[in-house]
Amino acid sequence: MTSGTITDGPALRDPHTPDSRIGHGADYLHAEHTLRSWFFTTDHKRIALLYLASITAFFVIGAVTAGLVRLALVVPDGQVFTNDTYNKLFTIHGVVMVWFFLIPSIPATFGNFLIPLMIGARDLAFPKLNLASWYVFMTGALFTLASVVLGGVDTGWTFYTPLSTAFSNTWVVPALIGVTIVGFSSILTGLNFVVTIHTMRAPGMTWFRLPIFVWTHYATSLIFLLATPVITVALVLLIAERAFHIGVFDPAYGGDPVLFQHLFWFYSHPAVYIMVLPGMGVISEIVPAFAQKKLFGYKFVAYAAIGLASVTFFVWGHHMFVNGQSDFASVAFSVLSFAVAVPSAVKVYNWTATIHKGSLKLDTPMLYAMGYIGLFVLGGLTGLYLATLAINQHVHATYFVVAHFHYIMVGGTVLAFLGGLHFWWPKITGRMYIEAWGRISAFLIFIGFNVTFFPQFILGYLGMPRRYHVYPPEFQFLNILSSAGSTILAVGYIFPMVYLVYSIWFGKRAPANPWDARGFEWTVASPPPAHNFVTEPVAPKVPYDYPIQAKETGRQHS
Amino acid sequence: MSAGATDAAVAGEGRDAVGVKLVSHFATVEQQKHAAVLGMWAWLLTELLLFAGLFLTALVLRIIHPEAVQAAARHLKFWIGATNTVVLIGSSLTMSGAIQLSRLGWPRGMVRFMLATAALGTLFLLLKGYEYYADYQEHMMPFLSDRPYELKDSPPSRLFVNLYYVATSLHGLHLMTGITILLVMTWQASRPGFLSLHQNRIEIFGLYWHFIDLIWILAFPTLYVLNR
Ligand code: HEM
Ligand SMILES: [Cu+2]
Repeated sequence: MTSGTITDGPALRDPHTPDSRIGHGADYLHAEHTLRSWFFTTDHKRIALLYLASITAFFVIGAVTAGLVRLALVVPDGQVFTNDTYNKLFTIHGVVMVWFFLIPSIPATFGNFLIPLMIGARDLAFPKLNLASWYVFMTGALFTLASVVLGGVDTGWTFYTPLSTAFSNTWVVPALIGVTIVGFSSILTGLNFVVTIHTMRAPGMTWFRLPIFVWTHYATSLIFLLATPVITVALVLLIAERAFHIGVFDPAYGGDPVLFQHLFWFYSHPAVYIMVLPGMGVISEIVPAFAQKKLFGYKFVAYAAIGLASVTFFVWGHHMFVNGQSDFASVAFSVLSFAVAVPSAVKVYNWTATIHKGSLKLDTPMLYAMGYIGLFVLGGLTGLYLATLAINQHVHATYFVVAHFHYIMVGGTVLAFLGGLHFWWPKITGRMYIEAWGRISAFLIFIGFNVTFFPQFILGYLGMPRRYHVYPPEFQFLNILSSAGSTILAVGYIFPMVYLVYSIWFGKRAPANPWDARGFEWTVASPPPAHNFVTEPVAPKVPYDYPIQAKETGRQHS
Repeated sequence: MSAGATDAAVAGEGRDAVGVKLVSHFATVEQQKHAAVLGMWAWLLTELLLFAGLFLTALVLRIIHPEAVQAAARHLKFWIGATNTVVLIGSSLTMSGAIQLSRLGWPRGMVRFMLATAALGTLFLLLKGYEYYADYQEHMMPFLSDRPYELKDSPPSRLFVNLYYVATSLHGLHLMTGITILLVMTWQASRPGFLSLHQNRIEIFGLYWHFIDLIWILAFPTLYVLNR
């Protein structure tokens, strides 16, 4: 396989000397140029970029509808949109953000790009399947998008029965078909990762030398494999009921509406960890690199990933405390939900301990990582409130819940995603972005986020329900504050889109290892050669083999 | 490495070489085979969960509403279900035969066994179709408003019968997919040289076929037999 295309892409060499030949030879971006070579590629790195482009587009759609929802909530009398339009808007927002952005985001982009590089493999185990899963994803997502835009759906992203089966007069069936299809893409991605991590590790790359990023993706892939089929069945049953009257949920047909909630949350609660675990993986790479210290308690962090992935299957009932579920079940689910906090806290403590006495360098990725830790802690703690039976009675289906899940999902996933994007951007594109701009964006997002969502905790506590756009006038001030915050947040999101794209053409060329980071991916050129490695890489004895100071370069980390 | 590297090339009377072609991103044929087998197992695991949701619901329903469910289950055509169980187990046997012959490098016998497997699969579908037709005659389809359901005053029995239709048609869909793949593969395998390059495809497909069988073996007692 050492044929013409890769002979001039040096793979293993001193990580600190910039490669003068970058961009001239056979790195994966320049190996081929045709449109065909992108849309029919089986290179995991190019497929990652296909995903990156698609989910960015979906994020923009989700963000615009979020903006419109916030616009509507500026006035208390609901005059901005009709009820119907408002319902459709928050449904588009939820559907797009959850199914087409958050769930695929980190695994499909960074997971695809990095897992083979990190374990020293030439590609994923099934490259064609990998490409196929992008096509499956796009087919399903565009199908749903067309139906929520052309016809509209007003059920919210949760498609609860009996609203979705019997009462909603909107395009529920096409939207469901699309979401079901997208599920298959998750399954295929998870399957590919599991097999790759099991069978394709380079010699010497034992399980306990794997980067935590790989561990968290392994755990995530297990959730993809174990949970997604259950939502598939739930959605298929929903389609069957709505389209063919094969009733399973509607009592009029003998069905049970709560059954849908069980099936739905059996998937959707673990899905939260599909969103959060990969983010934890990203943070676990960034923190040691910018503290120049070994990750504290490596094994615990790895076990915690598997622990989270397991416990998360047993807490779905905390979404059903007020729907008539038995008291015994509620108490059990409440206790189990508290148990999720343990592995989560393990991770947070380990990151903090890693930062402690490290030689900290506050570059953009690290700023995002610190923001992540803050928001995740607040989101997690409010989760404990929600898991407490008595408090749940009070705040169920209020803005308190909206604030909580945004802290977890946006704080947890989006900040990690952006942190990872800045961290690996030089590797992916071979270019550096302008550091000052990166720092500004991280600050804007952190501030904008808190101004947007913190008031929602108070609103929810005071009793403002979610999914209503008419509310008592005394809530207006906090709503205006939240909407104002969302404009800051929007600016924070637009910034990186501008300066990152700018850097592709005008940025400085990136060295192989701009951060003095450890891991196989930093030993290959930026951008990596088409086939990743020319000679087989050899794993270090310990993962995260950081010195307090980078001796090779003498670079100071203050 | 040379393209088309094979392992364990056997040559002999009436036999073809048996092996697997190494794809370039794998280091060894062993690694490639391992990945393929693991990939199929992972897929089967998710498939199992797909059906598990349905079966579990049916079981819980049986526990909560035993009489209503039994009344509905008595209408299911036990003998067709039982015959179909035998048919599918038979098809698993012929598939095992095909796999065994593929390992020995006897393509002609293998192809015959594969055709027999496809035939048994088709027989299953025909019987199942006939069963649906009989259900239709007996007013056992709650979702047809022009043929009022026999047990229409008993919601749990309707729910159970609805689950039965979803589960069995989902199984039928898997079987149809399986037969299609099997026929395409039989066509490919009937050309010379197939076994020397892709023997493991037969093995991997065999796993999938046995799985379809297994799902039916779970479905039959859950739907037809339990406390009958
Ligand atoms: C990655 C970013 C985001 C994600 C993943 C996300 C996700 C969600 C989800 C799942 C819902 C629930 C919809 C429903 O209840 O059916 C929701 C609701 C909402 N989101 Fe977001 N969101 C994001 C960003 C934003 C931003 C930036 C804003 C505001 C500027 C925002 C404002 C809202 C509001 C106000 C609701 C409540 C809708 C309602 O229940 O009436 N979201 N979001
Ligand atoms: Cu939950």
